[in-house]
Amino acid sequence: MSSQAHEPQAESNLYGLMAEFDDADTLMKACEAARDAGFKKMDAYAPLPVHGLSEALGIDDERIQKIVLCAGLTGTTVGFSLMYYITVISYPMNVGGKPLFSWPAYVPPVFETTVLFAALSALIGMCVLNGLPMPYHPVFNNPRFEMASTDRFFLCIEAEDPKFDLGNTRKFLEGLHSQEVVEVAK
Amino acid sequence: MTEQYHSATAPVLAPGHNNKSVTEKIAGVVLTQKTPKGWFIVFAITFMVMHAMVFSLGSLVVRGIGLWGINQPVGWGLDIINFVWWIGIGHAGTLISAILLLLRQQWRMSISRFAEAMTIFAVMCAGLYPVFHTGRPWLAYWLLPYPNTMALWPQPRSPLVWDVFAVSTYMTVSIVFWYVGLIPDLGTMRDRAKTMFGKKMYGFFSLGWRGSARHWHVYETASLLLAGLSTPLVVSVHSVVSFDFAAGIIPGWHTTVFPPYFVAGAVFAGFAMVLTLGIPIRKLYGLEDYITDKHLDNMAKVMLTTGLVVVYGYFLEVFFAFYSANEYEIAMAHNRFSGPYSAMYWALILCNFIVPQLLWIHSFRRNTTVLFIVSMFINVGMWLERFVIIPMSLHRDFLPSSWGFYMPTIFDWGAFIGSIGFFTFMMFLFIRGLPMISIFEVRTLIKKPAQGGGH
Amino acid sequence: MSSQTMTADLSGFRNKAFFAGVAGTVACMAGALSNSDQFWRSYLLAFIYWLMIPVTCGGLLMLHHLVGGQWGVVLRRQLEAGTRALPFNLILAIPIALNLPKLYEWANHEHTAHDKILQQKAFWLNPEFFLIRLGIYFLIWLTLRYLLNNWSYDQEAGGGETAKDKLRNVSGPGLVLHVLTVSFASFDLGMSLEPHWMSSIYGFLYIVGGALTTMAFNILVLARLSEEEPMSHHVRPNHFADLGTLMFAFTVLWAYASMSQYLIIWSGNLPEETPFYVKRFHGPWLTMATFLMVFHFALPFFLLLMRFNKRKKAIITKIASFMMFMRLVDLMWYIAPAFHEVEEAGHHWPHWMDFAAPVAVGGLWVGVYVWQLGKRSLEPVEVHRLAGGHH
Repeated sequence: MSSQAHEPQAESNLYGLMAEFDDADTLMKACEAARDAGFKKMDAYAPLPVHGLSEALGIDDERIQKIVLCAGLTGTTVGFSLMYYITVISYPMNVGGKPLFSWPAYVPPVFETTVLFAALSALIGMCVLNGLPMPYHPVFNNPRFEMASTDRFFLCIEAEDPKFDLGNTRKFLEGLHSQEVVEVAK
Repeated sequence: MTEQYHSATAPVLAPGHNNKSVTEKIAGVVLTQKTPKGWFIVFAITFMVMHAMVFSLGSLVVRGIGLWGINQPVGWGLDIINFVWWIGIGHAGTLISAILLLLRQQWRMSISRFAEAMTIFAVMCAGLYPVFHTGRPWLAYWLLPYPNTMALWPQPRSPLVWDVFAVSTYMTVSIVFWYVGLIPDLGTMRDRAKTMFGKKMYGFFSLGWRGSARHWHVYETASLLLAGLSTPLVVSVHSVVSFDFAAGIIPGWHTTVFPPYFVAGAVFAGFAMVLTLGIPIRKLYGLEDYITDKHLDNMAKVMLTTGLVVVYGYFLEVFFAFYSANEYEIAMAHNRFSGPYSAMYWALILCNFIVPQLLWIHSFRRNTTVLFIVSMFINVGMWLERFVIIPMSLHRDFLPSSWGFYMPTIFDWGAFIGSIGFFTFMMFLFIRGLPMISIFEVRTLIKKPAQGGGH
Repeated sequence: MSSQTMTADLSGFRNKAFFAGVAGTVACMAGALSNSDQFWRSYLLAFIYWLMIPVTCGGLLMLHHLVGGQWGVVLRRQLEAGTRALPFNLILAIPIALNLPKLYEWANHEHTAHDKILQQKAFWLNPEFFLIRLGIYFLIWLTLRYLLNNWSYDQEAGGGETAKDKLRNVSGPGLVLHVLTVSFASFDLGMSLEPHWMSSIYGFLYIVGGALTTMAFNILVLARLSEEEPMSHHVRPNHFADLGTLMFAFTVLWAYASMSQYLIIWSGNLPEETPFYVKRFHGPWLTMATFLMVFHFALPFFLLLMRFNKRKKAIITKIASFMMFMRLVDLMWYIAPAFHEVEEAGHHWPHWMDFAAPVAVGGLWVGVYVWQLGKRSLEPVEVHRLAGGHH
């Protein structure tokens, strides 16, 4: 019903073509077919993480692990330097006959700074890599898309893809057991 | 990695659900379902009870810390007991969402959100006490290491400074973990909200989540990393809390088994609180399909196990007091058995040792009435445990000349009871405004409803 | 119920183990002639090291009966065989029982006569009660061993669910007994070597350390078994990954408990507690302590964090053998300096018999173990639960 509500877009104002699916399995098969057909600029949308979808779309992003590892090591360094600076350099004080460089006492706070830095980097890294926050995105222009957070599954092939062709791509998507194919404006 | 034996017979999600039905049910609790009368009653009562804390702590700010019963030699009283008690309660949330995630336990999914919210509010309650215990809460930032004109630094050889690092990190990471878990569900709420205000608020906090495969890919890795970080964190936090005592040399405090024994006690208390709140709320909102007998059974098993570890700790404390042949350690043990506070000790043994043994019985583990009563005993028992450890060790010092007695005042009790009100008030506010069960995780249960560990 | 699956190759393995055991024994006998005190000390170290494996096999078996999991299904035969080797450990305990005064200060009347504290501790630390306790521990372990093996046999012989229920029902209380007996055995055998010193986390350290040794040992055996029928059908890289993850968890727990103990004793700084670490932070023992931090924790931590290393049989077996060695170093660090005074502990090196005795006892023990392993089918008991495991 909604595809009729939308007038076909001029190609310049077109974000992409979006197909709707009933379940995760059909979506997965569609993604694999699109990948095999050579499409690169596309994304799938699902209300839950679908096991194997990343592989089907050829997503292989391991940057977040590296970000968190680096941030964790930074946290260790910062925590250790802070402890060393406080106890040895800035405020050298004899406490209970313990040496100034009391490394056993550093272990708990340095561990905490490590975890703190790493955890914050996981949140920030996730947001940055996903481009969040992003209040507006063209896919929201499909009125059916609000069901993407309940029980509908979508595949959007973007107009920027070199292989994108309004007519052929629409035919291609329609052939994938999709419910309907909608043009999405930018 | 581990799978439950009865997984095939007792599902973690009742059969017959689909993506739409779980979304409508869980989001509906917030968005469409008529708020049950019980919610208003609890909300009103806890709001009033909370003011006992507001009044007690307000008076403390105005008139000073002398309002509390603490004095030499018992410098740590109800304030520190409550601090440890609340922090411990918070640990169940992290355990459920982080450790069980790493262990690939699916039953965690429908209780993790709720338990994580509990963590945050419990840590809030906990954090209040040391801040007010300083006597000048407006100067609490002195606890933080920052360059200042006094040329002073906190003293990092003290476990109290480790505590500042541990608790503030724990608070931050718990909020981060909870919020990250909420993002996809906030997207759902945004899409389903009826009011403009709801759409805007959920929309703002959902950060524009659109459930794209790329999002999920990074998101799932980030969640797993956060779980991996939270697991040692939760262990470290209560270990650091135990160092507050164990690093000192007071008999009853200085014993090396404290860290694992405190961590087990925290999980024990936390699961008891999850059940204390979860059982009535499950009934109030008719969530029996989501929090099934399987959940109750598993939580009871975790309580039984951690309870036994705690009892192992009690047992070792007594054994080592006599094994040490140290007169102060032996006197401490005798003081527990028959000193002025011995009633507390024996009540602790009843609550934490004897009553939880009921959980060996299979049918009791699935009986909400029995579970509720047992978990109430544990809540009380874990509070008594901290009483036995803290004032009971302090009030008999090495020299009889520095012996004393500790009696909490009405302001101590006001702050404590008020914090229970505050905690319950916040929990009820949370279940009214946010989905209390992780919707997107429950959706993943639909496809393979009866499987245990996924290999 | 498959037929006998013991292979000629496995008996070759058994003979090799026996040979190493006999060679080690001969070496230690020669050592005993020149230095009998040291012989007994090294023998105690070897005894504790190889006692923890069959005992913990029982503990892990009960853990598996309670929580399930693929790791337990593939390991079950090995764990059961481990418990069946336990009577051999009882025989190994006899020489220790006959030589208590050589090993334990508190058992030596000349020593206790001048030591007030040891006289006060005599209610617990006296030879008669010590032997009674040791007997009780073995009685509990052997009873559990009997029940676990017997009912497992029933389960295979068609007992099915009933036997399985019995196994599960005994495992809860059994695990409680396991924790208590291992703790108190560690207090008696290890901690009381320095009778003035005490640490209530000591039992936890032995439970976790024992689990680590046992897991490493079982990974090595599984790798060997997986080369042939019937296990070659069942063992997948994911099983090694799971076992590696458990080894990782025990490694981290070991570090956590060790650090907690050190931090609490270091902070308290009490004269009855610090000598333990003063001894071990001088001379070769300090080097060993550093070595432990790096190779018992840091290196395995990073290696076992990577799934790739855990899935590759060639890599995980190398890590497991290394961990078996590091467990010995850790136990040596706990046991060996206990026999020296604080002032002179730093001048003593680990003795060559500290390495030879574990080889001697271990060779013989592994021989008994392999013999027991061959007495039952190697086909996993609940093989259907494995089939569902790998899609």
